[in-house]
Amino acid sequence: MTGGLFAGYDHDGFFDEVFTADGEVRPHYRALVARLGLFSADELARRERLRDAAFRTQGITFTVYGEEEDVERTFPMDLIPRIIPPDEWAEVERGLVQRVDALNRFLDDLYVGEQAIIRDGIVPRWMVLSSDGFERQAAGLAVPHSSRCVVAGIDLVRDADGTYRVLEDNLRNPSGISYVLENRAAMTRVLSLAFTDHRVRSVDHYGAMLLGALRHVAPPAAGDDPTVVVLTPGVYNSAYFEHAFLARQMGVELVEGRDLVVDDHVVSMRTTHGLRRVDVIYRRIDDDFLDPVVFRPDSQLGVPGLMAAARAGTVTIANAAGNGVADDKAIYAFVPEIIRYYLGEDPILASVPTYLLDEPDHRAEVLDRLGDLVVKPVAESGGYGMLIGPAASDAEIEAFRHKLEADPRGYIAQEVVSLSRHPTLIDDHLEGRHVDLRPFVISGEKIEVIPGGLTRVALRRGSLVVNSSQGGGSKDTWVLAPDRDLKRPGDRAEGAELERVEGDDRRETTQMPAVGVDGDQTEHTPGGVQP
Amino acid sequence: MMLSRHAESLFWLGRHLERAEYSTRMLDVTYHSLLESAAWESERAWRDLLQVLRSESSFDELGRPATSEAVNRFVMVQRSNADSVVACIERARENARSVRELIPTELWQSLNSFYLALHSRDVATDLTEQPYDLYEMVKQRCQTITGVLADTMARDDGWRFVTIGRYLERAQMMCRLLAIRYQNLSDVSFHQWLAALKSASAAEAFRKAYRGSQDPTDVIEFLLLSPVFPRSVFFSLRQAEAELDILGAQFGRITRPQRLLGRIRAGLEFTDIHELLQSDLRLYLVDVEGGIRWVGESVATEYFRNSHEFAPFVPTGPVPTGGRS
Repeated sequence: MTGGLFAGYDHDGFFDEVFTADGEVRPHYRALVARLGLFSADELARRERLRDAAFRTQGITFTVYGEEEDVERTFPMDLIPRIIPPDEWAEVERGLVQRVDALNRFLDDLYVGEQAIIRDGIVPRWMVLSSDGFERQAAGLAVPHSSRCVVAGIDLVRDADGTYRVLEDNLRNPSGISYVLENRAAMTRVLSLAFTDHRVRSVDHYGAMLLGALRHVAPPAAGDDPTVVVLTPGVYNSAYFEHAFLARQMGVELVEGRDLVVDDHVVSMRTTHGLRRVDVIYRRIDDDFLDPVVFRPDSQLGVPGLMAAARAGTVTIANAAGNGVADDKAIYAFVPEIIRYYLGEDPILASVPTYLLDEPDHRAEVLDRLGDLVVKPVAESGGYGMLIGPAASDAEIEAFRHKLEADPRGYIAQEVVSLSRHPTLIDDHLEGRHVDLRPFVISGEKIEVIPGGLTRVALRRGSLVVNSSQGGGSKDTWVLAPDRDLKRPGDRAEGAELERVEGDDRRETTQMPAVGVDGDQTEHTPGGVQP
Repeated sequence: MMLSRHAESLFWLGRHLERAEYSTRMLDVTYHSLLESAAWESERAWRDLLQVLRSESSFDELGRPATSEAVNRFVMVQRSNADSVVACIERARENARSVRELIPTELWQSLNSFYLALHSRDVATDLTEQPYDLYEMVKQRCQTITGVLADTMARDDGWRFVTIGRYLERAQMMCRLLAIRYQNLSDVSFHQWLAALKSASAAEAFRKAYRGSQDPTDVIEFLLLSPVFPRSVFFSLRQAEAELDILGAQFGRITRPQRLLGRIRAGLEFTDIHELLQSDLRLYLVDVEGGIRWVGESVATEYFRNSHEFAPFVPTGPVPTGGRS
């Protein structure tokens, strides 16, 4: 039943997104497998070339910072889409909404609340205070409706049982949504027929959704028609394409720090008609670079006086400053408790078993088992500075042992998760490659998730690293609409919400070497633009 | 209303595009008209070209003789030449990239694919073996982009800044070309005036307007004063002025760039070529060119740097009137 491209495909004992352990095609993939079975390798190769040419001309690129020259690359998109059935997605969606809701409350409690969660002993005070992402400068700085994470990117992986687990939270400047939209646009052109076999939920309302959320968090004094801008470090930033893309999708100005000026706690942009007031800034620069008065004085990217203006309540900065404390990898270990504390519910999404090194017992165990574990620096992103125990040499393990002993707060250790794999086009045939998923969660009037998200693929054989800067690629991600949508058009469009799916916490199951690695989050870059 | 930085990027996008096309045109004409000339003539022609492009001193820093190959390389790709054609296209693309959300996708794509096409070629080999293809490619791509601009861009303020940039650049280039040709007028053959016409794509239009004339005065009149030829100095200035007027009208006042440009344009409009020739034409041209540069400066002061935050524009010398005749 699986001829052509799929002939000879082997899941190698990993959890495979398309095939069951017995080699059967999962029901939601049947139509796709049948459709792709009709393609020859040459035909797919031709379509790959079409896709590449289109991406290059359109300049859908990211910048890889090199030692001598920075290089613009296209983000490789694999032609075989990932498909998520409606019931599965409904549970993921509920879990994401729950998680972001709790994280918003947590941040609000820390910065403008009574820090009740610390008082009640759920999260240790010293853990919060010692986090690089905890900004004292943001203390007392309220955000309308407490939407501190207007955009959150929550990285998910599926383990050996197919259970979705949160790998990490990205609450500062998560990037990648532009690729979700561009991948979809490219797929509808290159593989249009495959769409006709399914009812794929659309993603193109993202711009409207984001703009709606950003307007929602405008200061009340801004009135009915607040001015929203996107703040970028400039064209040399690796994610500049995305910044411009989002500004275009929302129809708002894309500004750099030098376009903005603060006078008497009011932020304005410099226009050909003089200064124009700005109410909401969707910033895509890091906290440290936001305002040289408060943060790094050498930064050219930010705006002097911005934080004071935010504090005066004349402008909203989204995402809020100081969110980094909640996506600190050590705080990650507390998120299930954070959910229980604020919402009184059990977490819907599972986590990855995580060890903190400040506890002597844990530290001893971790140091003893370094070769089995993954060690990550708490404040890094982009997959830098990690140790993947099962793949490391003795010397590397020894080096990390010293690092951990010297700076236990700086690292966490996690059990290795066996990431699921997905058939991926390699040369002229399909091979299994590890994937993760970054859905985007928007906190506006309510908390919403764009269907699907960015599926990243580790393109190198056996590799677990999905970062674009480290040889990763991506897949279009299809969330299917519930069947009843098709059969009974009168039904609620979001029929999935009606499903009752029990939360399933299988956190104890841990196997096999494989680990997910986060994506690029930090977006600072030196320098500005010409002329 | 638009961001000052965006207006500036669009202005420079227009300038860089125009400069790239113009430089290529000059190279093309000089290269091909010299294939039949003596060596000493060749050296001077290449030096003239460098002067028109205001690149002579930076070329001389390389310490090389002005051979066809060296100048071609310098004007097209040399890293040390910030105004090389390749650098101009790179900067035009960078500028487009920084205003991507404002400009039509087609415009960005045509600029981007031009940039990619240039980078996928071995330009150095093109230049030694068969520069014609390269010249053609650059000119055609530039014209395609201009066409895309004209056909897809809304006539909003963004359009106005691109247009002002293009036409100011064009008028400046033309003034320089005429000034340099004219300083050697006595020993310049009509052959070379024809080359000047060709580098402005003006030879055919000139023939139509002046029948079989071989009089350099007619060429100068045409390239300087023609009210209908889109590359003449007068025509270019009037285009830029029209857009400046619309921008100024939004303020309800006459802006400084309008005033400066209006004076230069009027000087040209109400002059007569024979009158000009009786005075020092070369000096006149240099003066006009300097005036246009000042217009560019005042556009920057008026629109790109919010003037109320900066010192008001005060010319350091007498304001050029665009004419001493």
